[in-house]
Amino acid sequence: MRPLTVKRLLWTCGALAAVLLACVVLALKLGAVPISVTDLVINLGRIAIGQSDQLPTEYRLIVFDLRLPRILLGIMVGAALSVAGASFQALLRNPLADPFVLGVSSGAALGSILMLIIAPQIAVLSPVGAFLGAIATITVVYFLGRRDGQLDSTTLLLGGIISASFLSAIIMFLMTTLAGRDLRGMVFWLMGDLSTPVPAGLRWIFTAGLLIGIGAIYTTAADLNLLLTGEREAIHLGVDVTRVKLVVYVSASLLTALAVSASGAIGYVGLLVPHAVRLIFGSDYRLLIPASALCGAIAIVLADTLARTVVAPTELPVGAMTAMAGAPIFIYLLRRGLR
Amino acid sequence: MSTSSMQTVGGHGDSPQRVRAERLNVEQASYAYSATAQSAPTFTLGATSFQAHERELVAILGPNASGKSTLLRLISGTIAPLSGRVELDGEETSRLDVRTRAQRIAVVHQESPAVYPVLAGDFVLQGRHPYGRALRFAKKEDIEIARNALAQVGVEHLSRRSMGELSGGEKQRVILARALAQQPRLILLDEPTLHLDIGAQVELLERMRQLAQENRYAVVIVTHELSLAAEFADQVVLLQHGRCLRVGPPAAVYQRELLEQVFEAPLDVEIGPAGRPRVNLRARRGEDAT
Amino acid sequence: MEPKFNSGATNRANAGLAARARAQSRVIPNEVRNPSFFRDEHREIPRFARNDNQRRVALKRFGRHFGTLVRVRITALPLLLASGLVPALAAPQVSSPATRSLTDETGQRVKIPADVKRVVSLAPNLTEIVFALGKGDQLAGDTDFCDYPPPAKKKPHVGGPVNPNFEQIVALKPDLILATSINRRETVAALDRLGLPVFLTDPHSVDEMVATVEHIGDAMNSKKAAGPLVSDLRARLADLDRRLAGTTPRRVLFIVWTDPLISVGRDTFIADALRHAGAQSVVDTVAEWPRVNLEEIIKLQPEFLVFASAHAGDTQHDIDALRARPGWRELNALRLGNIVVISDAINRPAPRMVDAIEQLARALHPESFNTSSSSPATTPQQIEEACACAR
Repeated sequence: MRPLTVKRLLWTCGALAAVLLACVVLALKLGAVPISVTDLVINLGRIAIGQSDQLPTEYRLIVFDLRLPRILLGIMVGAALSVAGASFQALLRNPLADPFVLGVSSGAALGSILMLIIAPQIAVLSPVGAFLGAIATITVVYFLGRRDGQLDSTTLLLGGIISASFLSAIIMFLMTTLAGRDLRGMVFWLMGDLSTPVPAGLRWIFTAGLLIGIGAIYTTAADLNLLLTGEREAIHLGVDVTRVKLVVYVSASLLTALAVSASGAIGYVGLLVPHAVRLIFGSDYRLLIPASALCGAIAIVLADTLARTVVAPTELPVGAMTAMAGAPIFIYLLRRGLR
Repeated sequence: MSTSSMQTVGGHGDSPQRVRAERLNVEQASYAYSATAQSAPTFTLGATSFQAHERELVAILGPNASGKSTLLRLISGTIAPLSGRVELDGEETSRLDVRTRAQRIAVVHQESPAVYPVLAGDFVLQGRHPYGRALRFAKKEDIEIARNALAQVGVEHLSRRSMGELSGGEKQRVILARALAQQPRLILLDEPTLHLDIGAQVELLERMRQLAQENRYAVVIVTHELSLAAEFADQVVLLQHGRCLRVGPPAAVYQRELLEQVFEAPLDVEIGPAGRPRVNLRARRGEDAT
Repeated sequence: MEPKFNSGATNRANAGLAARARAQSRVIPNEVRNPSFFRDEHREIPRFARNDNQRRVALKRFGRHFGTLVRVRITALPLLLASGLVPALAAPQVSSPATRSLTDETGQRVKIPADVKRVVSLAPNLTEIVFALGKGDQLAGDTDFCDYPPPAKKKPHVGGPVNPNFEQIVALKPDLILATSINRRETVAALDRLGLPVFLTDPHSVDEMVATVEHIGDAMNSKKAAGPLVSDLRARLADLDRRLAGTTPRRVLFIVWTDPLISVGRDTFIADALRHAGAQSVVDTVAEWPRVNLEEIIKLQPEFLVFASAHAGDTQHDIDALRARPGWRELNALRLGNIVVISDAINRPAPRMVDAIEQLARALHPESFNTSSSSPATTPQQIEEACACAR
């Protein structure tokens, strides 16, 4: 037998982190305005030795104010969505589960729209509204999904799908009856958009929330492996199923809420990255979770780079890119048999 | 109605009589299900008592909907009895925390379809979950125990195969190995012979009895297979409609009128050469003159 | 065409940006100024404060991004203190070229350099206004959709109005960026965060559009060019009002799209343009582009149907096809041929809009104008002429 060892875990994560770093460098280099890698390295070096006043202003603007925040946001959103997707696939015991299946993104979109209606002038309230909408949806779906005092996979799934439909209908109603201006941006938000960085005051909360969410899920990784063989079996093997389901549900929903508030609903990442990682690395959640986080980050950084460059100077929304690349990959996985 | 005895029961290859520790003590345990807290109970399990000793195989016998699964859940500690007690080595099973309970009691269910493939070896390693901490990376000791468990059921060569590739019988054995890896004191099996052919059924029960002897387990099997229970069990608990009708060695429990009434089928009981009863389906009245 | 960055290369525009940043820093009083708030403050932090470079880079960004909420530098002070940023020591003042402080049409103050040489427009109507002011050569970049006048199509493009490419904008080194209500708030906020001056216009009526021309002229330091243009536009509008005084407005349906049937809401500038042309839309809702029910329209029986089109020939074809359709047949205006096709300039709040308004007014109230034709332009030839007039 070949059980997972700490060494293998660290080597795999190290290799993926190296790939991520390479993608980051690539993303910094590519864009509507080309930047050479040597220039990049030289200038990063200049900063390191304290001579950042030598940098040309536009260069610094483009690399540090435009591309780097976008790449960092992409990494965090990609990691959050992938981990959330993998978690929901375990919680709902369904390989088709993705982070949005329980209606979190619809709730966030509705919250964002309501905030646009109430206070269109204050830009920072939009992500806050999205987050509040997401939390409200999470709470409602939790109570819909309970049976006998604990979360039941099927009931949760049904409750989530119904909530998502209902919220989408409300969103459609609002979008057709209200004035067009502010809602034009909603289309981009609904397809996923990394060009708006997280408002400065919320940045630390965002990062902390992400780390806490991923960390909390990771502590239950061994339990999730058992949960997948069946709930009864898991209980008899010593897993506190009620607690694990609650922790995973809350954390994964929180991750989704944060990601969607920051960048809109970027589809396919949460669904496909865990499956791709399973194909390569196996289904052990102790490896799946960190590997999904890293691979999700890689996927979003690459997709965003493509979105920025493929029809430059026009920018496609990231969600469009992930969907276009995601659908063929999904078909391929289906043919191989969704393992 | 209950007989608690420290005697051995005659059977195949049984060891000489000696004192065996009592493991499981079910004393007047009862339970009731109701749809909501206010409505009347839809199903009740009446007060049931029996004991299981180490190295002993107890069969819980009864037709469908007789309360066998409920009794199993009471024993495994998943639910607490409404009256009476269920004790393992003196401790109430329902009061134990999940981890300790998993270290003492192993439950073998029918396998639910796995959502993702898992290697047989990793599957058995899951049995070490109650002993680990945090992420539970397998220690040498755990790997040893898992390997031994696989060897004890004779499927060590399958440890690197995916569970989805195995046959029904092989899967059953791997699931059993996982239970053994838990190093329990009590093993519960829930209708383990349902999907097996007769050869595999006999093989399974033989192995259970042998394992019980070697590792000093107490084994409780829930089944409705009359012949198998008669052949392999040291004690039989007979249930019908949530009532415990009789507890005792097979020879004492297998009375023709009783069995016919419980199973609602024309049966014949005869005692075999080794002293164990054999159950035959009697011909329909009027068809045969014998 | 795309500039490649040479490390260490500086040019006039670069110096201009740097200078402007220093100028921006003058608004906050010295004792409370936080240099990490501005782009080029690394020049001004004394050497002994440069200890932790990484942290400074991060703080810089952190501090800079706080400025987006309120552009008036003085009121940014309580935000800075609340954010917990440690104010660094003040650096010595540096002299800078002049900048002006203007208020844009949403009430925000914008600091624009006195010498505006490169302008980027983020909407087609703004591009038209810039060209109408005669300042087309100062337009450094515009959107993919800017198609009038023809030279606008050849300018470097920065993407669409809703999703412009910030890198491209920055690479064009603009002194001023023009934006309007079709741009997203996030876009404007992001440009603001980058320290680029954005002049935001927001016209909701024809008169406001003329005022926008004036404001843009002011922002681009072209009051001289703006004056005559604005006066002319106002004069023409006043003339229209005079001619149409005393006439009853014609009830019209302005058709944006036929399948589904979409018209315009009452608060749009198209509705205002209709009013200036002596027309009244039969659709009176708050929504900007309402889908209307054909049965309701049939009940209302507008006197005229108004289409806006860039290519009259196609529109004539579409109108003929409409006559045959059930429901549409019931419209008197369609049967009687009371159809007006005007230039699509009516869709864009720019000077050409006034041409389209005049065209519509002539078609709806021919008796108020001394024209030879007494019927609205309905034949293809006439429509083509009408459209050509407006170009």
